[in-house]
Formats: sequence, structure tokens, C-alpha cells
Amino acid sequence: MILVRAPLRISFVGGGTDLPDFYHKYTGRVISTTIDKFVYLVINHTPLINKISARYAISETVDHPEEIKHTRIKAALIDLGIKGNIEIGSFANLPAKTGLGSSSSYSVALLEGLNTYLGKNLNKKSLAEAASRLEIELLKEPIGKQDQYAAAFGGFNIFQFNQDDSVDIKSILLDYKKKLLLEDHILLFFTGITRMASSVLSDQKTKIEKNFETYKKMSDSVFEFNEKLLAGDIKGMGKMLHEGWEMKKSLSSNISNSIIDTLYDVGMDAGAMGGKVLGAGGGGCIMFLADPQKHDKIRKAMNDSFRKNNLNENKEIPIKFTQSGAGVLLNDNRDKNGF
Amino acid sequence: MQDYIKNFLGKVEDSIENLPTQEIAKAFNILQATYERDGRIYVFGNGGSLALATHWVSDFNKTVFSRHLDKEVKRFQAIRIPTTESELTAWANDVGYNMVFKGPLQNYLQENDAIIAISSSGNSPNVIKAVEFAMEKHVSIIGLSGFDGGRLNELSDAKIYIPTEKGQYEVVEGVHAVILHLMVKYFKDYFDHVMERKEKRS
Repeated sequence: MILVRAPLRISFVGGGTDLPDFYHKYTGRVISTTIDKFVYLVINHTPLINKISARYAISETVDHPEEIKHTRIKAALIDLGIKGNIEIGSFANLPAKTGLGSSSSYSVALLEGLNTYLGKNLNKKSLAEAASRLEIELLKEPIGKQDQYAAAFGGFNIFQFNQDDSVDIKSILLDYKKKLLLEDHILLFFTGITRMASSVLSDQKTKIEKNFETYKKMSDSVFEFNEKLLAGDIKGMGKMLHEGWEMKKSLSSNISNSIIDTLYDVGMDAGAMGGKVLGAGGGGCIMFLADPQKHDKIRKAMNDSFRKNNLNENKEIPIKFTQSGAGVLLNDNRDKNGF
Repeated sequence: MQDYIKNFLGKVEDSIENLPTQEIAKAFNILQATYERDGRIYVFGNGGSLALATHWVSDFNKTVFSRHLDKEVKRFQAIRIPTTESELTAWANDVGYNMVFKGPLQNYLQENDAIIAISSSGNSPNVIKAVEFAMEKHVSIIGLSGFDGGRLNELSDAKIYIPTEKGQYEVVEGVHAVILHLMVKYFKDYFDHVMERKEKRS
């Protein structure tokens, strides 16, 4: 049995500039960090059962990979030439579609697990590329590559998406005081509204040309955010998150809506320095940066607003930053020649 | 005599002034990531470097947490290899000196782990052999070297290289000891800070 995990992430600025229609013309950049919430995947070899089983929200057992309904598992198994004798199960700390990159974390964990199962060992970059290829080339999802890289590498990073499709990774060397200071200021709320990133991104993609200057500003703002991060300038980061969110909203009418706008305004009015909706938009999580002493006031205001808008699935998500990317936690498939 | 002393200390000062701070920071991140996923840190080297490895392991496993030893908290799992003289001499005598580090590493090393290799020349064959094995496994490598950095510096993810003239073992090993203590101090302060923050909240 093999157990792998891949972390979820929060991105600060630059999200959207990882779409190829943009970065083929101007370098895209995203600054993000992984958090202590994970997607876990179990892969089990079943030598006596020549079937493929997938266990997630539902349970499937089929004879051939082509028959699997789960699109990622199906595409990955066919691509890697795995035809049977395997069970794949997945677990996560948070539900899907929260804007924390979980679907790409899933792909990263899946490819890490299946390659380990085949006795192959991918480095972080190959893993990020394999997951990007699965989602973008094989499944034709209209998404970028920031989440796959974030999940594979772990920690605070700047990912730079070059015009020739290569990706540069710059690890941000942040000491514990600044990391914990930022962590202390973050408030994260799941709105209870879920959406598919691809539905928002498809519309956003058709308008890249029109919004090109805004994308350029978003990509370049990563440098300034990095400086503020290294300086521990929370106020400055809050202001930049707010400006980034304003820019992002202008890219597609699907990124925000009246409920999201209301929730965001409630948090800001209750004293947040800045914030943003995480992920593609349209729902998911709202993050605020705020003085820890104002957290209770913001919490109360947000809870009132969630109630008024009948968002009963809402939850505050406490987070810690993490440094480790995707990895194998257990592998007892290591050696067939032992005792 | 004082001239002699000043001359030596001047060399130490020069190398401390030019310490690769960015690479040391990368090493901190590697250690942090290994801790998070419950991995182990294997550390090794020859002669004085093996003594440094032994010293560091005791500091890292205990001193980092020394103000909180009564609490049940997750600690580091740093291990000097080979762990016993018997194992060291068994590999050396029966198989060859080249295998004294790679041999034990083959028994232990898993995907979640990290290694710290210490070699002043950066070219000790037994150290390089173990580092190459870790590379095949895509395990993160922190390399502490001196002189011209040698192969170890090329192969490491965190390249902690103390440039000196060839043969300046005293300077290189002395500065290595400072850096290893810096690792202990950083995580000790980090952990104390986390615990203090926790107490304030409760």
C-alpha cells in the first residue's frame, strides 16, 4: 500500500497570469504558499483481483481503465499504462471547490502515488509538469499551472511562467518570525458557495486580450508583494491584496457576484486591511488580513452576514503555513525481494 | 606568536564574512519540510566531520526543545550514520571504506528524509557515494564543504560551501561548527516562539 499527500495552497497575487493565453505573450508570475490542509491518496495493489477500483465520494469497480468515471484517474491510468489490479482511494481535510487548489493537489498526489506504484521516483519539477500535463493537455481543462507547482514544491514560492512554457521557481526564504506574524493576521472563511474553477476560467480566458494591461500589472505586482512579505509589512500586503482583488474582479463578470461582494465588504468594514477571494472566483474561500485584535469583530460580522445570506455551509478555516510539498508518507511496496 | 594567531583568525573572519546566507536559509527550509512530514535527517562525514555530525545530532534532537522537554511535542529525528562503531568497522573491513555511509543509508533512507553531508574537500569518495544514492531517491541534500567545494557542492540542494585554500581543515571545520550551531539556534528560537505564542493564546 502506498499513501501520498499533497498540500493545498493560498495564492496572494498574480493568480490568472498562469494562463497560457497570457504568459505566451508576457511573463506570468504567482506568489503563493502551501498550508496545513491536504489531499491524501491511497493506492493498493490487488494481485488477485484484476479490476480497477476507485473510492471517493462514490465507489467504482470496473474491468478496464476506459470505464472509470473519475476523469483524472481514468486519464492517468490510461496514460501510464496501468490496466488492472489496483485500488485508489482519496481523502481530504477540506471539501473540493474551495478555491484552495485542491483539484490540482489531487492530481499531484495521484501522479506521485501512481509513479511510486510503478517504481518510478519523480522530482518536484517533473511531478508538477506531469500533473499540469494531465489536467491541461489530457483533460483539456482551461486552467493554469500555479496550483500543480505549489502542491509539488511546497512553501512560499514565486512561480514564473515563461513565454516558452518553462517555469522558474524561486523559493522565498522567510524567517519564522515573519511567517508566524503573517499567519497571525490571516482569517480564512469558506463561504459555502462552491463552483468549478473551469467554468469561471473559460469566460476569463476569452477576455485576456481585452484585459491584457491588467494582467501585466498583476504579474508585475508579485515583485512588490515579495518585498513587503520579506519586510514583514502586513499593512502593505493587505493593501496589495485588496488592489489585486479589485483588478481580478474586472477580468470576468463571473469572478464575483453580489453575495461575494457583500461578504467582502462586511469583512473590510469590520476592520480588515485587505483581502481577496481565493481561487478562480465565484465562490470558495475569502481571505482577510487583519490585526489579530480585530479578528473577533470580523468573525462576528461575517457570521451575521453568512446567516443573512443563508450560507449555512460556511466555516472558518484555521490555517498554518507549511514548507513541505507533496510526498510519499508510506510505501510498503518498496521491495518485492524482501522476506 | 600573536601574529600567528591573528593570521589564523583573519582567515576565519574572511570565511565567516562570506558565508552563503541564502544557502543556509535553504537548508533551514529543508529541515522544516522534513520535520513537517515526519522524515528523518541522516548526517555523516569523516574524522572531524563525523564528530561534528555527532555533536549536531545531540543538539538538534534535544537542545532545540530543551525548554519544553516535559511536553509531548513532535521533535526532530536526526541520526548520525553509521550509528555504531561496529557498523562502521563492519562495512569498512568487510566491504570497503567507500560503503561506510552508503551502506547504512541504503537500510534507512525513505522518500521523506533529508541528509546532511559534511566534507571539507567536498570530494571524500565515501561521502559522495552516499550523496549520489540520496540523489537517486530525490531526497534533499544539505552539503557542508570547504576548499573548492568539490563534487559535494555540485550535488547539494543547499550548498553550504566555505571557500578556502586547499588543506585549511581547521578553518573549514571551525566554520562548519558555527553553521551547525546556527541551525540549532534558529530552530530553538523558532520552537520557543511557537510555544510562547501558544501559551499566550490559551
